[in-house]
Amino acid sequence: MPGPDKEIDLTERIEAFLSDLKRGGSGSGPLRGSAETARETTALLRRITAQARWSSAGDLMEIIRKEGRRMSAAQPSETTVGNMIRRVLKIIREEYARSRGRSEEADQQESLHKLLTSGGLSEDNFRQHFAALKANVIEAINELLTELEGTTDNIAMQALEHIHSNEVIMTIGRSRTVEAFLKDAARKRKFHVIVAECAPFCQGHEMATSLSKSDIETTVIADAAIFAVISRVNKVIIGTQTVLANGGLRAVNGTHTLALAAKHHSTPLIVCAPMFKLSPQFPNEEDTFHKFVSPQEVLPFTEGEILSKVNVHCPVFDYVPPELITLFISNIGGHAPSYIYRLMSELYHPEDHEL
Amino acid sequence: MKWATACLTGVDSSVAVSSGGELFLRFITLTSLEHQDLSRCKKMMEERGELFLEKISMSRSKVAKLCHTFIKDGAKILTHSYSRVVLRVLEKAAAEKKRFSVYVTESQPDSAGRQMAEALRKLNVPVTVVLDAAVGYVLEKVDLVIIGAEGVVESGGIINKIGTYQMALCSKTHNKPFYVVAESFKFVRLYPLNQQDVPDKFKYKADTLKTVQNLSEEHPIIDYTPPSLITLLFTDLGVLTPSAVSDELIKLYL
Repeated sequence: MPGPDKEIDLTERIEAFLSDLKRGGSGSGPLRGSAETARETTALLRRITAQARWSSAGDLMEIIRKEGRRMSAAQPSETTVGNMIRRVLKIIREEYARSRGRSEEADQQESLHKLLTSGGLSEDNFRQHFAALKANVIEAINELLTELEGTTDNIAMQALEHIHSNEVIMTIGRSRTVEAFLKDAARKRKFHVIVAECAPFCQGHEMATSLSKSDIETTVIADAAIFAVISRVNKVIIGTQTVLANGGLRAVNGTHTLALAAKHHSTPLIVCAPMFKLSPQFPNEEDTFHKFVSPQEVLPFTEGEILSKVNVHCPVFDYVPPELITLFISNIGGHAPSYIYRLMSELYHPEDHEL
Repeated sequence: MKWATACLTGVDSSVAVSSGGELFLRFITLTSLEHQDLSRCKKMMEERGELFLEKISMSRSKVAKLCHTFIKDGAKILTHSYSRVVLRVLEKAAAEKKRFSVYVTESQPDSAGRQMAEALRKLNVPVTVVLDAAVGYVLEKVDLVIIGAEGVVESGGIINKIGTYQMALCSKTHNKPFYVVAESFKFVRLYPLNQQDVPDKFKYKADTLKTVQNLSEEHPIIDYTPPSLITLLFTDLGVLTPSAVSDELIKLYL
């Protein structure tokens, strides 16, 4: 019978995705890019919307929230999963409001205005059933998927405005977004790139190889040499794992050093981050920064005796405060870090901050 | 209504009373007053008044719910003077079984800090009262600073008991996060550019204004802290960065 088969198929896919997430995030190895994770999450959510049984928007939101909690628990450091779930929840709310005939702006956010004008402690139930809701939501999710596919290109298109001829650009580690950004600018301009290798995983080496294949003059330096070299640099362009709600970053280990060096020399720091990396977390909340991987990378097990006497840590992420950042370049254009709160209120609904 | 507000501000000139009063006025008059019957109008206004009171009494709990996750286990907190919102936040954190200790400044001229310390002792929170002058001394031991606000101005800065500006400057130098907790009815339509811009009716107590001849000899009881020194604001509208405050105010008054 097609009914239960589809359900089993759905749960199988969800389980496969969850185990993939758990495995994929264990540090080194083929680090799956956040863009792919975002795309797969959204595709999975579309499948859930299409195949799961629900009769009203409230039910669908409950189902998605439940699955969403499981998915973010599988790999808490992969914030794009949570972000996509919140985007889809906002889509559902909007489609529901549109079906009910109200304007979307009206009752979305808490505000002083709402405090004053609403006629009572209103609780929107999302219980009404609309036949076209399923099709609308799926269509909106498809639009979201198209947007996701175009993000790297949209960011790369803005490269020519920011990179000029004969400039020296510095970057750290490996970011697919920055790679595309620089390659796009290299088609029309000649410039020099310095890549900090970003120990202990040394992804900077791969970045340098890839860039030099596109005929960009590249130099690799050790992380310790960042401060020494930065006086010659015109711009620093970096990628990030997550953009936090206060405009700060959660980026690869070593980025804070680079940001401080850039601030000291008044070098502009540009962050290339697509919108799906924007997360409603704040940096001082609990559990924001707990990802450590095997200290094998820092002090290998072959060192033997010394290991019992020494504590070794290998953190993966670094926090960069918003004061050190000059500009965010995302698929919808450039923004100052103080504007992030506005983008957040457009992408997510405040009630979805806690899944 | 306007007479009542003027009367209230005449007795206790505080920013919160004035902004709360203004919002209350807008709230109850923003309803459709098409009813011909005056008594019905009056009844509607009363209902909306009750509703407003109910909403803002919940706002303190909302703020506490947002803020307590920022207090980590083992944290040392510095606060200034007596603030019921900060007290509620610390109550919530203590209820979540977090261990933390608090430093409170005495906050002259009315020693309100001692009142705060008493209240905290009742919650079994280890608390130390420090001199106002000892803020710089104690900041190296502290992990975060949480204070309340009497008013939040359009730029995202705050108006609070005298001594707050000093504390904010020192925290910025020591790189300690400076958190402000305030309910949304405290948002006020002022844009002071420096300390002098804050209107006298807030700076001095009402009876001082009436009795004293030469204001320059009086001590102000509040000061203005600019938004560049504030890390985050916790309100019942959510966690806001100082730049988001003006957005909220515009949404209200448009």
